[in-house]
Amino acid sequence: MTVKKDKGRKALLILLLIFPLLLAGCWNNRPLTEINIVAGMGLERTEDGKILVTVQVAEPGAIQPASAGGGSGGEKSKPVFVASNEGETVFEALRGMLAVVDKKLFLSTAQVLIIGEKLAQEGIGEILDFFERDYEVSYLVDVIVAKDATPDELLRIESDMDTIPAVYIKGTVENTAARGTVKKTLLIDLFKDMDCKGRQPTAGQITKSSDKEVRTEGLAVFRDGKLAGWLNPYETRGFLFANNELKGGIVNVPVDNGKAAFEIIRSKGSVSVEVEDGKPSMLIIRVNAEANVGEYGSGGRLDSLETLYMLEEKLGEEIGKEIEMALEKCQKEFASDIFGFGIYLHKYYPKCWKEVENDWHNIFSKLPADIRVDAKIMRVGLVINPVGKGE
Amino acid sequence: MFGRIRERYREAKHKFANVRVDASSYGPIPGKIKAVQTRLDEIFSQCNDLVIKEISCGKDGRIKILVVHIEGIVDRRLLNQDVIHPILDYLPSVQSEDSSSIYQQLSKCIVISSDIKEVHEMWQAVNFIVSGDAVIFIDGEDRALVVGVKSPEGRQVEEPDTETSIRGSREGFVENLPTNMVLIRKRIKNPDLKMEIMQLGERTKTDICICYIKGLANEEIVREVKERLGKINTDAILDTGIIEQYIADNRLTLFPLVGNSEKCDKLAGKLLEGRVAIICDGTPYVLTVPYLFIESIQATDDYFDHAFFASFMRLLRLLALLTSNLLPALYVALVVFHHTVIPFKLMITLAASQQGIPFPPFIEALLMIIAFELLREAGVRMPRPIGQALSIVGAIVLGEASVAAGIASNLMVIIVAITAVCSFVVPPLIPATMLIRFVFLAAANFLGFLGIMVAVVAVFTHLCTLRSFGIPYLAPFSPLTAHDLKDSLIMVPIWAMITRPKILRQQENVRGVKGSKRQEVDKGRDSQKG
Repeated sequence: MTVKKDKGRKALLILLLIFPLLLAGCWNNRPLTEINIVAGMGLERTEDGKILVTVQVAEPGAIQPASAGGGSGGEKSKPVFVASNEGETVFEALRGMLAVVDKKLFLSTAQVLIIGEKLAQEGIGEILDFFERDYEVSYLVDVIVAKDATPDELLRIESDMDTIPAVYIKGTVENTAARGTVKKTLLIDLFKDMDCKGRQPTAGQITKSSDKEVRTEGLAVFRDGKLAGWLNPYETRGFLFANNELKGGIVNVPVDNGKAAFEIIRSKGSVSVEVEDGKPSMLIIRVNAEANVGEYGSGGRLDSLETLYMLEEKLGEEIGKEIEMALEKCQKEFASDIFGFGIYLHKYYPKCWKEVENDWHNIFSKLPADIRVDAKIMRVGLVINPVGKGE
Repeated sequence: MFGRIRERYREAKHKFANVRVDASSYGPIPGKIKAVQTRLDEIFSQCNDLVIKEISCGKDGRIKILVVHIEGIVDRRLLNQDVIHPILDYLPSVQSEDSSSIYQQLSKCIVISSDIKEVHEMWQAVNFIVSGDAVIFIDGEDRALVVGVKSPEGRQVEEPDTETSIRGSREGFVENLPTNMVLIRKRIKNPDLKMEIMQLGERTKTDICICYIKGLANEEIVREVKERLGKINTDAILDTGIIEQYIADNRLTLFPLVGNSEKCDKLAGKLLEGRVAIICDGTPYVLTVPYLFIESIQATDDYFDHAFFASFMRLLRLLALLTSNLLPALYVALVVFHHTVIPFKLMITLAASQQGIPFPPFIEALLMIIAFELLREAGVRMPRPIGQALSIVGAIVLGEASVAAGIASNLMVIIVAITAVCSFVVPPLIPATMLIRFVFLAAANFLGFLGIMVAVVAVFTHLCTLRSFGIPYLAPFSPLTAHDLKDSLIMVPIWAMITRPKILRQQENVRGVKGSKRQEVDKGRDSQKG
């Protein structure tokens, strides 16, 4: 009798274990053939205040012609198609898109997220909220802000370099980020900075340079979630120097007769605030940079210590100038602390931060700054006697 | 389900026990030669291969001698030389009427064979006759003489087809039990190598030899082997495969709990590790117990090659084992569920290959795997000369044509091909892998990675519960026996493998024997240096 009871229990247990498996069912079970692989995504505010969502969808069959019978034979189809749709909200616009496209949109694969200038000026809080809630969009997508062009236009370009324009755009962002003229901004970085009073969010800038090319250089500066203005490439680099985010780049320095170009190898930057009597009194930026000589326009041998010291000093000045330009613009024009001085205060002078927190924009824009750059030259290149100059 | 199977099995066993031929009903050997002949005629009715040779002797030829054997399985030359000739030569000189003295003389001096036994029961005599010995009955005696004149004929010793190796002996076992015993004895010249013969199978009377090295093999395991063999209750043992199923600890598992091999050197190695071998007459496959999971990724060559290389190969085999089990499942899970983990470019490739395929990936994978298994099975079953045609059909029709026709994606063909190649790397686990692969595949299709994990955990749990003759199947990993890890996935060089696997619990754990020649040589060398 007990044996039977045990058996019954065992069967019940097994059944119970099977049920959850069935419950999970077809959750998110979507074969690759039934989704549209989104390569890039753009958001813009239309004239009448609606949100225009543009998606660039990759057509795998056209990019990689599969087997002879499998793919669609005949003339070559385009590698991507671009579709856009309007809606009151991002979500509505995206879902409304399904009336235009044939398969469900798969957003996780998006390589870039381009935000239109107009939308950015009106504030990105609303759209970020959607991306934060929605599980589909990857937090690691590159966010860039379009200048003088709509995302729609940018996504519709036909690049010669990569079959998928979005991949091409992402490639340019990576390149310029390595050169230090654009800041690579991930969606998750934006989320973090949006809620942080100690640092204002920034994002890369993209412009349309020709029918087939884009240019990603410069920085979009936000203030309270709204686009405040732009930094040019040099200012962007200055900002990156100070923020310890510079990965490399070429800095030109005017010398006696001509210019010298230095390649930044390593750079370490830090920002801090000096506090006097419980009040912030001075913004401090310290940068240690190491560089190689890439080009020495004025010619001549670089074998004396004096020349090198002189060059190091000039390089430091030049870098300092870039930082100053960036800081001044942020203080005077935008009143937006993108450097994160506020974070420093919050961390080391919490009491002081409590007091200035709500009026930080104003206080920040009026503080004097102390910028010190220590540049070092590591190598001068392969030449001892340069061509034409080696008497 | 299993409960019902077990019940049925019990019922059948019960029935079988009732109808079994009672061998002892033959009774003792009758004293009269006429009666013996009648009994034999009864027992061997319609057996035209039975030969009864009648020889008369004694005064007036009153005492008759019967030499009984079965045609073909006795060595004719040996029979004539050892039995018939001596008797015929001896006969004229016999004048005695006393049958027992004739019997004595026959057994002591006449029959010149080293293999002579005496039997009293008829069933014993019959047993010897059917297993190829000659039996001599003498009028007036209630006992018989058994002379071993079995013919050693059979296949020559050749390289086994199933287990080939680049290095190492090319000798494989044959179907003949004595030959196999010699092949082992040749490698281990030691009286401690014990070979105990017993007969199994009520009808087939198959000779089984339990082989182990006394002092190395765990006595308990030897006893257990004997006990389990003794419990086998069947009328036919045709192959060690049958014995394997009877003596395995868990009879329903897909994983092999008893090892088998055709290679003599491999078997010698196993014996020297302290394992017990079971050799069966009529099959070249010799069983070894206990069998652990790790043995399926060990190869004989490993011990003859450089340890680094061997270790790498073992890791590779493990990788192949995992791949052959999981690759189709992982692919399906990726394509159906987890698009987010695929890099963008790879996703384009995947999507491109999937385009235009009318089936979901699961069905596609299932079709291709079944097609492959069919090919494999056909390759095994069909006559050799047709092999070429089959490989053409396999490669062209199933591979290229199915892709061209848009039934399967080219990526799926690659995946199934890799899976197939990997499954051949670990031959002992082919049956288990083949079936478990479908389980993984189904799990992947329903639950993605989660499903695969559930299935993997289930399989591992099952593996952990298995025992082979009391030894945990996953040893030395679970339970962790650090001592035995030296010969697991990573193998230390053979000269550093000083001790035998601990998990088998041998009596003598160190490989070198004290005072052995090698140690003496080492000592000599040292003293020379000094």
